[in-house]
Amino acid sequence: AGFIKSPLSQKRLTQDSVELYCEAIGNPIPEIQWWFEGNDPNETYAQLWDGARQDRVKINATYNLHSTSTISIANLTGDDSGMYECRASNDPDRNHLSKSPKVKWIRSQANVFVIERPEITTEVTPGSGKVTLSCNISGPHPTITGHKWIHKEKVLEEDSKSGASTSYVIEGTVEEHSGIYECVFEANPQIRGEVNISVAPQVTAYKKSEHGNEGDTGVLTCKNPSFPAVTTWSWHKSGQGRLDNASGRYIIKSSGNKTELRILKLDIEQDTGDYFCNATNSFGTGDATVNLRVRSRLAALWPFLGIVAEVLVLVTIIFIYEKRRKPDEVPDDDDGGSAPLKSNATNHKDKNVRQRNAN
Amino acid sequence: PAPAEAGRAPGPPDGGWGWVVVFGAFLSIGFAYAFPKGLAIFFKEIQDFFGTSYSEVAWVSSIMLATTYGAGPISSILVNRYGSRPVVMFGGLLCGVGMISAAFCTSILQLYICVGFITGFGLALNLQPSVIIIGKYFLKRRPIANGLAMAGSPVMLCTLAPLNQFLFDNFGWRGSFLILGAILLNCCVAGALFRPIGASTSLVKTQVREEGKDALKGKITEDGPMENKTEEEGEKDCFEKVNQYLDFSLFKHRGFLIYLIGNVLMFLGFFAPIVFLAPYAKHTGIDEYSAAFLLSILAIVDMVARPTTGIVANSRWVRPRIQYFFSFAIAFNGACHLLCPLASSYTGLIVYSSFFGLAFGMVCAMLFETLMDLVGAARFTSAVGLVTIAECCTILLGPPIGGILIDTFGDYKYMFIKCGAVMVLAGTFLFIMNYYNYRMLAKEEKERKTKEEDPKSVRTENEGKKNWNKDSTQDGPELEPLREKGEGLKKEINGT
Repeated sequence: AGFIKSPLSQKRLTQDSVELYCEAIGNPIPEIQWWFEGNDPNETYAQLWDGARQDRVKINATYNLHSTSTISIANLTGDDSGMYECRASNDPDRNHLSKSPKVKWIRSQANVFVIERPEITTEVTPGSGKVTLSCNISGPHPTITGHKWIHKEKVLEEDSKSGASTSYVIEGTVEEHSGIYECVFEANPQIRGEVNISVAPQVTAYKKSEHGNEGDTGVLTCKNPSFPAVTTWSWHKSGQGRLDNASGRYIIKSSGNKTELRILKLDIEQDTGDYFCNATNSFGTGDATVNLRVRSRLAALWPFLGIVAEVLVLVTIIFIYEKRRKPDEVPDDDDGGSAPLKSNATNHKDKNVRQRNAN
Repeated sequence: PAPAEAGRAPGPPDGGWGWVVVFGAFLSIGFAYAFPKGLAIFFKEIQDFFGTSYSEVAWVSSIMLATTYGAGPISSILVNRYGSRPVVMFGGLLCGVGMISAAFCTSILQLYICVGFITGFGLALNLQPSVIIIGKYFLKRRPIANGLAMAGSPVMLCTLAPLNQFLFDNFGWRGSFLILGAILLNCCVAGALFRPIGASTSLVKTQVREEGKDALKGKITEDGPMENKTEEEGEKDCFEKVNQYLDFSLFKHRGFLIYLIGNVLMFLGFFAPIVFLAPYAKHTGIDEYSAAFLLSILAIVDMVARPTTGIVANSRWVRPRIQYFFSFAIAFNGACHLLCPLASSYTGLIVYSSFFGLAFGMVCAMLFETLMDLVGAARFTSAVGLVTIAECCTILLGPPIGGILIDTFGDYKYMFIKCGAVMVLAGTFLFIMNYYNYRMLAKEEKERKTKEEDPKSVRTENEGKKNWNKDSTQDGPELEPLREKGEGLKKEINGT
């Protein structure tokens, strides 16, 4: 048996997670085990299993053409620091308690350092027409080689300075730029801090005025694109108090950033008017107004009849004008296109034409 | 009574009521081309209402377009039988009925039938006769008339787009379809304007059939040969019957074949750039409104380009060589597309849109004019039907092929290169073949001159030549009346 891939030594911060990967080959296929030796001088190697350390350890192994095994440990603490060993053997007697195996387990080691997570103080400072975000590392930290600011998986800014603090300036107000921002300190290991711009719900209506047809279903929508998400939505109608699903005609579907009010069987009298959607989160409330207009079923009928009348009038005028101008050409419909079967008939006509011309 | 008789004289009037007919054709053609595109505004709402995917709703437009082009031959047959006016009025009625019934549809399938088939068929019955009747009313100023009438398409599109939006906002899609149905009934008004004209054309048809039989008996004024003809008709009635409604002998016509092949090739790359212009603009990072503005620029330039091209094509220098001008326009179009990938900034795209609008307008204005020029007004009825059904396939294939190219390569430039290359190829093909065609026509003209020793016909032919160039002999059918009708009329024409 032999190793194709050995696990790599890594540095991590507390509360992070780490993954070690090991691959071995042999005939028959070797088994892979993980063993750990802590940093205490008294400690000896102990085997790790899937679910160890209060279920923080996960081991995933495959034995197809060759053996692979991945160990991942979540929510690291200082005690997780130490030497991790990947052991492989394909001797059939390898796990026998009394017999000592002829072939020893081959081993490959990796060192995992868990460093205490330095404290990061974050700050959001709204100013005159701009907002400043800042991250400051207090306490011991590894050497910093650069900074990055990330928002919605896009890198906003990066540099290669080595300071323990970094800041980012956004043009605008907090209300316009709410969300989750990450400041990243490039070091070994990478240190990330989270800065949140939280505001009260900035509620807007999808469409300020909606139309619906009588008897159809009307849909009114409000959305909240700001951070954090809305915890409660509610709908009100002027003069009617709160609307809810219980009344039967209203269906309200809400999520963290959108709410939808469906009104079944629209009625011109009852349902026309202003509707208010109200959103609440831990930072405040916000609302918006939507105006609903219900069209009567026959609304489109009047323009339709008007245009049809116009068409009939025009066609009649055109035909009357034509009859007045050339009364003797009224039956003249057989210009046809060019059907030759009519050649005899038109021949006679041509004769007539000639005769008239001669006259 | 000269004016009244001028209307009955063997030449098309080239004015007077003809301009009113152009206006009617303007409306009719405008509806036929612009209506399917204008419907796109309703698709999102219909998609939400019936719960279908976008492509299923887009089929409505495709079916409508396919029916409008595919029903061309039927349209031609009906015009051959009944004349333009009844067909257009019936077409307008059909469109109206189609859209009105669409307002009450309860499934997407019913929409396919009402909007797609019925309205599409109605539009087909609008399009062909409008183009045909221009050929009957104009000869000398025909390119201008064609250019003006074809300008209906961009004008209608520019009016329909905001109108549809307004209707949709105020009445919802059902109400809008109802009102659009009423608006389409205005095609009946346009049809009412298509006053029937020209007893001469039926006489001409017999001449054409003789030509089709490769007989060079150019002038027949006697009844005798005609009666012989009717006897022959009695003998082979099946083939002749079909032929009298739809002139399949056109497939032996050299000019027609050239036009057919060139145009079928051209349409492969004609519409795809328009379909993908806005998505391409958005792809290069331009916002939605500016992308839509590009299309507006295209439409406005198009609107101006069509009548202008008509006027240019009518001028003394271009009219005899109009086929070359047409090939140039197509190749110019292709060159624009080939250069498009080089334009990556917004100003570059604006320049591209303007040139594209210009080229598009030039090609469209002359689309039917060149066909009329090649086959003559008499056979044009059947020709246009046969051409549209052949074009139907490539028109429908063009944008999907472009879409496949974009999806496979992830880049729009291959689609533009393909369209540009196809059109440059089509333009060059038409140029070369028409050069060959002009030479053959010159040869035939010489042969005809040497065969006819009648001094009168020589004189009229010389007269004819003064006005037109040699290629008009293939227009022969149109000028036959000038030569054929007996001395009294000839004197009249010489007098005017």
